[in-house]
Amino acid sequence: MLDGSIEGGWGYVITVYGFTWFCLVAYTASLVTRLRKDPDA
Amino acid sequence: MSKTWMVVALGFTLLVVGHGIGLFAAPPEAMMGDVGRILYAHVPTAWVALLTFLGAFICAIGVLWTGKLAWDAAMEAAVEVGVLLNAMLLIQGAVWAKPTWGVYWTWDPRLTSALVMCLSFAAVLVLRSLVHQVKRRMTLSAVATILFFVNVPVVYMSVKWWNSMHQEMSSPETVDATMVLPLRIAAFGMLFLAIGLCMARGRLALARLRREDGAPDLPERPQALDLDSGAPHA
Amino acid sequence: MSPLPLQAQLLAVLRKDLLVEWRGRSRAIGVVIYALILLLLLSFAIGPDTRALQAHAAGYIWLTVLTASTLLLAQSFTNEVEGGALEALLLLPTSPVALYYGKALANFGVLFGLSIATVAFGVVLCDLSLDGSPWTLLLVLALGCGGLAAPGTLYAGLTVRTGAQQLMLPLLMFPLVVPSLLAAVKATALCFEPDVMGQLGSWLGVLAAFNAVYWALCGVLFIKVVDE
Repeated sequence: MLDGSIEGGWGYVITVYGFTWFCLVAYTASLVTRLRKDPDA
Repeated sequence: MSKTWMVVALGFTLLVVGHGIGLFAAPPEAMMGDVGRILYAHVPTAWVALLTFLGAFICAIGVLWTGKLAWDAAMEAAVEVGVLLNAMLLIQGAVWAKPTWGVYWTWDPRLTSALVMCLSFAAVLVLRSLVHQVKRRMTLSAVATILFFVNVPVVYMSVKWWNSMHQEMSSPETVDATMVLPLRIAAFGMLFLAIGLCMARGRLALARLRREDGAPDLPERPQALDLDSGAPHA
Repeated sequence: MSPLPLQAQLLAVLRKDLLVEWRGRSRAIGVVIYALILLLLLSFAIGPDTRALQAHAAGYIWLTVLTASTLLLAQSFTNEVEGGALEALLLLPTSPVALYYGKALANFGVLFGLSIATVAFGVVLCDLSLDGSPWTLLLVLALGCGGLAAPGTLYAGLTVRTGAQQLMLPLLMFPLVVPSLLAAVKATALCFEPDVMGQLGSWLGVLAAFNAVYWALCGVLFIKVVDE
């Protein structure tokens, strides 16, 4: 019911934010690692 | 190199601020309550994903126009970062849809064209790994990027038409004034982050492309052994 | 030797491609049979419920045509490449415009034939009856096939010597033809049922616009790509 209250609302919020940050941080970290390993970059 | 990481750091910082305000200081959304806070994660991701693909489109034109490796590297980076953001936005959207619309997926024009967009550009990445010759790979992925990008509004319009018999799902079109600030900060954060990530990824791509370009070409296709001719084979 | 005028070149390419297709017609026939078998499989997958079949017949028909089209399109340029004919063609004063459009029109012709065969089979399998003029149906089929031939020919040319063409051609084409598919399926369905809300016109419009954009754009891209 879209009346301003949804049960478990924060659960969804945490899932989304957690997922978003995880993706961004993991990708950045992988780039850092790959750039360090590459002698030409 | 440090310029790249400064941009990334700026992006992350703005994102932390934007999300912080959005999560803790901004008011809950009128209809959705606290679930509406997903807005500050989802909307910036969507905007920047589309902008990143626009960047890829521009680089693709650069590839076809100049044939320079730098454009190809930039295009590869933009497509990869774009696919990442696009995949993120689809999952964010699905999780947001569950409590608000009741289902994980609907044939909403925006969601559907976002899915087609994601699969299209993921296909471009697959294509790049299948073609080993630098020049051919560059041309093929540039043409595909251009066509897939042009396709995005076309898919959007046709799905909108397709759906027009059914009820359109409502989603927050107008954002309340108090929510604009964290949204804007988060959007800029995401933008700088995407630019920084593209710069970093582009560097990696350019290094690899330069190495490949210097290496000798692989043979066209494995030649069948000719066992009957009696002549010594190569 | 001065080059022929553009239309003459185009017609020459078109005629050559259709002739080659005709001479190797067992392959084209094979693709048609493949399409019919595919349509049969789809019908089996849905089950013998006539109403379900009728409701979604247009969808199965176009999915079948789309899948079979990649087989047909893939070999567009193979004949040229084997034996180095592509280089020879490009060395001759054949304009890339004529080459692309000639081939694309030839592919369109073959696809159109395929779609007619598939629809005919579909009408029988799903017990459909035409509501309205058969010319409208032919127009829908033509526009749908046009939407496949234009990008398909371009992509066939680009992927011809890459080795993984079987995978690449569908990967490239399928996301691109989503709008065309939507419109073609809807328009086809409306040919077999009463068009209560008069929507057929708008779907034909979508198909026409799609064709206009992609026939132009793919031609431009082909010219750009071939100039290497």
